[in-house]
Amino acid sequence: MITEKIRAAAKELLEKGEVETVIGWERGTFWYNSTPVFISKPEQADRLVFDDFCANNLAKYLLDYRNADGKIAVFVKGCDARAITRLIQDNQVKREKVYLIGIPCTGMKEAPKTVSSQDVAGLPLLAKCQSCATPNPVIYDILLGDPVPQKEVGNRFAGVEALEAKGADEKYEHWGKLFSECIRCYACRNVCPACNCRECAFDANGLNWLGKQNNLQENQMFNMTRAMHVAGRCIECGECERVCPMGLPLMDINRKIIKDLNELFGSYDAGLNLEDRPPLGQYKLDDPEKFM
Amino acid sequence: MSLNTEALPKSQEVTASPEAAPQPWEPRIVGFACNWCTYAGADLAGLSRLQYPPSIRLIRVPCSGRVNPQFVIRAFQRGADGVLVAGCHPGDCHYSTGNYFTRRRFLLMQRLLEYMGMDPRRFQARWISGSEGPKFQQTVTQMTEDIKALGPNRKMRDVE
Ligand code: SF4
Ligand code: SF4
Ligand code: SF4
Ligand code: FES
Repeated sequence: MITEKIRAAAKELLEKGEVETVIGWERGTFWYNSTPVFISKPEQADRLVFDDFCANNLAKYLLDYRNADGKIAVFVKGCDARAITRLIQDNQVKREKVYLIGIPCTGMKEAPKTVSSQDVAGLPLLAKCQSCATPNPVIYDILLGDPVPQKEVGNRFAGVEALEAKGADEKYEHWGKLFSECIRCYACRNVCPACNCRECAFDANGLNWLGKQNNLQENQMFNMTRAMHVAGRCIECGECERVCPMGLPLMDINRKIIKDLNELFGSYDAGLNLEDRPPLGQYKLDDPEKFM
Repeated sequence: MSLNTEALPKSQEVTASPEAAPQPWEPRIVGFACNWCTYAGADLAGLSRLQYPPSIRLIRVPCSGRVNPQFVIRAFQRGADGVLVAGCHPGDCHYSTGNYFTRRRFLLMQRLLEYMGMDPRRFQARWISGSEGPKFQQTVTQMTEDIKALGPNRKMRDVE
């Protein structure tokens, strides 16, 4: 049982004093939500669980421990591990300050529509897990359990291609409708491992980048800027889309950018490899020259 | 918040006099010009008395790499019909490499704008050196013509 293993691993690390805090998941208020937990004593290790509802990417919490003296241990699924790579590449987290406990992941489930039956097996996988290309952590110190086989995910750009084929006004209407629904809660930004600016442009209201009005124009400004800011650094973890309370299909924007970056500047997947530099942070002399 | 419109003068009563002919519509183009090349190129166009449409409003930036995607969105929001980012030719950037990053960033952004439903002709980038007064003239003329054909931009605007 994986939960047994993670408890034992956390307990051992805390007992030996190798890490000062362990970030994992615990049983939430309901059986279908497991929430992040931060433990610092060996006897708390029994709170940890790993089940079908540990969707939260824990990597982002490391930002709260930037100034910690000791090491922080964190459990990483495939997507979380790419997020760690992202944070290390952005110099937000030092590799030697984190202890990564990898967990090969078979995918997380949606919360049930009705809570009466506890039929976990019948629940669909989260959208982000259905199209996950890296269920096995790409970076870790120890791996709990055996790597899981990579499932067939098909063409992840199919949605983008369908939108690209539409006419300009149709596209504008499509996005306009969606962006007018955005309530600018910034959950998509807060959860995103690529959004790690110390002061976000959208909070710097002195600079007046973004008005406080919740109207279509400001929402367009927000959503397009967010997309441009994570361009080349988005690890496709799908967390932004998962947490959006208004259900905006944010991956349709992120994937559009990923698709274009790949077409324009060569194949690149963020967060897979510590050595690769993000495409907008570098250039080639012979990049496509469309503008002249 | 509701405005008491009763108290405001009816705009027509105040401004429209019967003999004022309607102005023909001229596009408004916001041009971000790098200080070291394009701005000098625009200057040269002026010094050489080259005619080009008065549709462009130039904003001088230290380098084309200074242009933030948000500048472009804000320009469209505030009423631009087109946006031009212009700087030194690749290899000639005063800061060596700024424009290589510009090239990547705005190739990507032009595609994003198109994906959002904007006509990509409304957003352009060009390399115009300090000695290319005629190229500046042609660029502005061409862009003005293209945008005239497209008509006023209504997308992303928050002003009338
Ligand atoms: S999470 Fe959704 S509603 Fe909230 S700011 Fe992001 S896009 Fe808007
Ligand atoms: S933009 Fe969304 S999918 Fe991309 S890294 Fe951020 S949260 Fe993950
Ligand atoms: S939206 Fe932009 S400024 Fe804000 S945190 Fe993300 S990358 Fe930084
Ligand atoms: S200084 Fe002109 S593009 Fe950099």
